[in-house]
Amino acid sequence: MSEAAIPLRQRLWNPEARLAYVLLAPAVLVLLGFMIYPIVYVFLISLFKTNKLAQFKEFVGLRNFVNQLADKEFWQITARSLYWTAIAVAVKTVLGMIVALLLNVKYAGRKFARMLFIVPWASAVPISAILWGWVYHPQYGLLNATLKATGIWANPPTWLGRPLPAFTACIWVDIWIGIPFMALVFLAGMQAIAEDLYESAYLDGVNALQKFFYITLPGIRHLVLIATLLSCLWTFNDFNTIYILTRGGPAGATDILITKLYKNAFEFLKFSPAAVMAVVTFFILTALSILYARIYFRQEQAS
Amino acid sequence: MKWRNRGKPIAVILTVVLLAFLLFPFFVMLSTMLKSAEEVYTNPPPWIPKSWKFSNLIRLWSEFDFAVYFKSSLIISLGSTLLNTLLTVPAAYAVARLRFVGRRFILYLFLVIQMFSPVIVVISLFKTMASLKLLNTYLSLILANSVFTIAFTIWMMNGYFRSIPKEIEEAALIDGCSRVQTITRIMLPIAVPGLVTTMIYSFIAAWNEFLFGLTFIQSKQKMPLVLGLYNFVGRWTTQWELLNAAAFVALVPVLVLFYIIEKRLVAGLAGGAVKA
Repeated sequence: MSEAAIPLRQRLWNPEARLAYVLLAPAVLVLLGFMIYPIVYVFLISLFKTNKLAQFKEFVGLRNFVNQLADKEFWQITARSLYWTAIAVAVKTVLGMIVALLLNVKYAGRKFARMLFIVPWASAVPISAILWGWVYHPQYGLLNATLKATGIWANPPTWLGRPLPAFTACIWVDIWIGIPFMALVFLAGMQAIAEDLYESAYLDGVNALQKFFYITLPGIRHLVLIATLLSCLWTFNDFNTIYILTRGGPAGATDILITKLYKNAFEFLKFSPAAVMAVVTFFILTALSILYARIYFRQEQAS
Repeated sequence: MKWRNRGKPIAVILTVVLLAFLLFPFFVMLSTMLKSAEEVYTNPPPWIPKSWKFSNLIRLWSEFDFAVYFKSSLIISLGSTLLNTLLTVPAAYAVARLRFVGRRFILYLFLVIQMFSPVIVVISLFKTMASLKLLNTYLSLILANSVFTIAFTIWMMNGYFRSIPKEIEEAALIDGCSRVQTITRIMLPIAVPGLVTTMIYSFIAAWNEFLFGLTFIQSKQKMPLVLGLYNFVGRWTTQWELLNAAAFVALVPVLVLFYIIEKRLVAGLAGGAVKA
């Protein structure tokens, strides 16, 4: 009997479905209460004028949005969030690819190298950010000491003290955290490519670069897509690195949407602008998430 | 084969150079945690300490409230793992094995919300926690952590349950086991590797969590390690040797745990094309 022949009532309410509802209920209730409801609530805040205790004062419709859209700083921060993500993900992809190619060469100690490459991902992000803060320390940090001592850079900048160096320093830490995941996904893809493809390419006299562009890259392109999408989500969301290293400073030079929205709410107690930023962030992240989910689902179905 | 033979030494050299470059902060951590206070504040700072002060690793527990933070982190992480598992296992079983209307939609939804940012909801969640009188409690962090790991762990567990042949379960049902018995006696024992993975994942996620701690916790007594370390920086004379020692001790458990699940985690995140 096909499913459509069963009346809807019975499809919705039969012993198996009832058991499924019972088993799903706790997880779904927790998600509703502590994730979905808070999202709805933040949408509400964005439509109201609020006081310093985040209490609703007056319904203002979209006026909070209009105010933000008229604010130059908002556009600056949104643009920065986007190029922060674009630059970081691009560099992670390239460096991750290089690491994956290196790990795909067979030599003794390759497993050990793999373990070491993973450390930045395995480490706790907030702790990594604190450690980097110390590495970047202007007087006693070992980065500048090393740069000076080796003569690579006689007069290195005060990394976290000026806008451009601070942005560079933050984005590098985010990249550094993200390289291992990219590398591991690419490596898994490379190892699934049939060896005889390379053998016949070798017999045809194909060089290393051609092998990469005609065999390796096409063979892993789905994984590249899914890994970069995930990385976009994480990078856009990387609150910890920026907040711990610079708190968005100096003078807002490293603020992206999520750090600014947090500061708006919990430092300046401006809840309505914070909620507007949260709503904007929500839409960007949801779009990316749906894209990721679709590709992931298609892959699952295929395998 | 000629190319590969020439390529191999180059690859090894590049690997070593790249690793030295990427692991530099951890080298700095190990070096700093063994320095004396005077050596930390010398300019230029030495690469390798003159005498190795392993005592820093002990002073940590007495001079810095490390034990308090460590205990908080343990309670929060174990609590999050427990709650997360209790919520995940039944839900994952339902989406993996039972037929009901909306099953695909729910799976899809879990996959989408797994990526939601805690920052989006932290404002509302702060108000919710305040009205539930949960601010400054372990429970607030246990709840918040679980909410943000649940979707992903249900997905992973769903995969493990589905990889178990249906026949095994059907045979048990015919032999007179109830559904609940088949879950606890047949499915879970087979899915132990999956269960361990999801538990370790939620433990690590809670151990590394910073944003909710920063927002919900005020008192030192309740602070998780990561937050304790954060607050230790920026006082006018930071004892960097102790801070680095603390970072080291805080990292060891998560590093060890991470290596156990690393392959399955990558497979879970990247989907069907990557085999664990």
